[in-house]
Amino acid sequence: MLEYLSIIFTAILANNIVFAQFLGICPFIGVSKNMESAFGMGMAVTFVMALATAVTWLLQHFVLLPFGLGYIQTIVFILVIAVLVQMLEIVMKKTSPALYSALGVFLPLITTNCAVLGVAIIVAQKDFGFIHSLVYAIATALGFALALAIFAGIRTQLELADVPRPMRGVPIALITAGILAMAFMGFSGI
Amino acid sequence: MKALSVLYDGLVRKNPTFVLILGMCPTLGTTSSALTGMSMGLATLFVLVCSNVVISLVRNLIPDKVRIPAYIVIIASFVTMLQMVMQAWLPALYASLGIFIPLIVVNCILLGRAEAFASKNNPALSAVDGLGVGLGFTAALTLLGAVRELLGTGAVFGARVYPEDFGSLIFVLAPGAFIALGFLIALFNRLTSRQ
Amino acid sequence: MKSTLTTMVLSLTALTVVLGALLAWVHNLTEEPMAQAEAKARTEALTEILPPFDNDPAADRTVVDGLTVFPARHGGAFSGAAVEAWSDNGFGGRITLLAGFDASGSLTGYRVMSHAETPGLGARMGEWFSSATGSRSVLGTAAELHVRADGGDIDAITGATITSRAFLEAVNSARNAYESYLKSISR
Repeated sequence: MLEYLSIIFTAILANNIVFAQFLGICPFIGVSKNMESAFGMGMAVTFVMALATAVTWLLQHFVLLPFGLGYIQTIVFILVIAVLVQMLEIVMKKTSPALYSALGVFLPLITTNCAVLGVAIIVAQKDFGFIHSLVYAIATALGFALALAIFAGIRTQLELADVPRPMRGVPIALITAGILAMAFMGFSGI
Repeated sequence: MKALSVLYDGLVRKNPTFVLILGMCPTLGTTSSALTGMSMGLATLFVLVCSNVVISLVRNLIPDKVRIPAYIVIIASFVTMLQMVMQAWLPALYASLGIFIPLIVVNCILLGRAEAFASKNNPALSAVDGLGVGLGFTAALTLLGAVRELLGTGAVFGARVYPEDFGSLIFVLAPGAFIALGFLIALFNRLTSRQ
Repeated sequence: MKSTLTTMVLSLTALTVVLGALLAWVHNLTEEPMAQAEAKARTEALTEILPPFDNDPAADRTVVDGLTVFPARHGGAFSGAAVEAWSDNGFGGRITLLAGFDASGSLTGYRVMSHAETPGLGARMGEWFSSATGSRSVLGTAAELHVRADGGDIDAITGATITSRAFLEAVNSARNAYESYLKSISR
């Protein structure tokens, strides 16, 4: 139990996927303009990341490795993620229109979210067990959601500030993210 | 003439990093030194030129509805080839770029160029487009790497400019990546808006 | 081209077959250089960290306590061994290193084989623990090692105590395996 707690803590705070590992930066900058969409994106990513990690783990251990096909890992993983996202979209549309209207718009963006493929590859590289991988994937995704939510909060305030013209938009967002990353570094000493 | 303007578009007018703000993950993740930044840029350039040419060649053979999966398969194949070649002949470099090499697959620049350019133009022009955008990306990553390495360790490409003890290590670490890139984009905005 | 089911399936299948064949070909082409590159990196590291040897330590390797030991012989006489050890307590996860020992049990050298430590801080362990300044060096030691903060006498890397601890932990586990190995061959 303690072991899993430490994985969760590390993945959410000390080794945050956005601030320490530089994955999922595009949606982080793009979808963090308000709290609502930040929350939706965070949840959609958590869902897809857990599912994708589970499926790619099974594929890696029961198909790719036994048949010596480790070298086509990248292609197989990205196709799995693309198909999963597509299926999820169809299933969600049919079974839960409410959920679809909340998360649907974010789904196509997730295929090219490098955090999803990144976590699947990290898990395969580090040779985690199945449960360990799932815990790691969910915690990492929650770390992503946390980063997105904090950042959305700051950006709504930033809208009101008088920022020099060349710094407006992405530059000031990046610098803010840098300061947040510094704050997150504080967790790593623990 | 057209080729030149396509090249200029990729390098400056539509620079993937400074103007379009695409491919941020490798931009931030691999630029702790000028050399790693440049290597990442060149690796992306290689995949971009290859996938652009192939996609342009098969653009009339792929049904419209499945074009995106087809593009992804083509891009992923070239990334896998790059992975194998680098592991065989450049193992040290491959280790230092780590996970960002397989992640070229999800770099929005590649799918973006496939959809916006290679699927509508001939192979020669698509190659030039890949070269221009790839060089623009490489230039941006090298510049960011050089700035971070200089401020962080007092050297550029390993050549010492001032003593290491005066360097501010934060620029080599994660926060420095965000801050340095923020200021570089702001500088680029300032320089281009004057004209 | 028109998107009918036939054209969609046909074109995607053709694409996968062509690209799959291409990948298999490149894989065959690179498989050998890949293995060679790995072997070469290890031979280089062994030559650097071990006392002079004339056998092939990689061919003579054995596993002791779960760690791989590469014994070195010079003119038939045992001259020392390198141990591949790791620690999972690094700042960025696992640190893997090769530690070389001479026949008397003192550390002759080390090489960090893989790590994910912070550049400019933890990543300096390659040079730090072999530098002559202060009491940084772990070379020539024959006992268990700890950083000063834990009551030992090795200076931790400035700003990277976690990395330093993990590094010494890996060195210590290499030393333990080496001592078990010495016992097993003297028996």
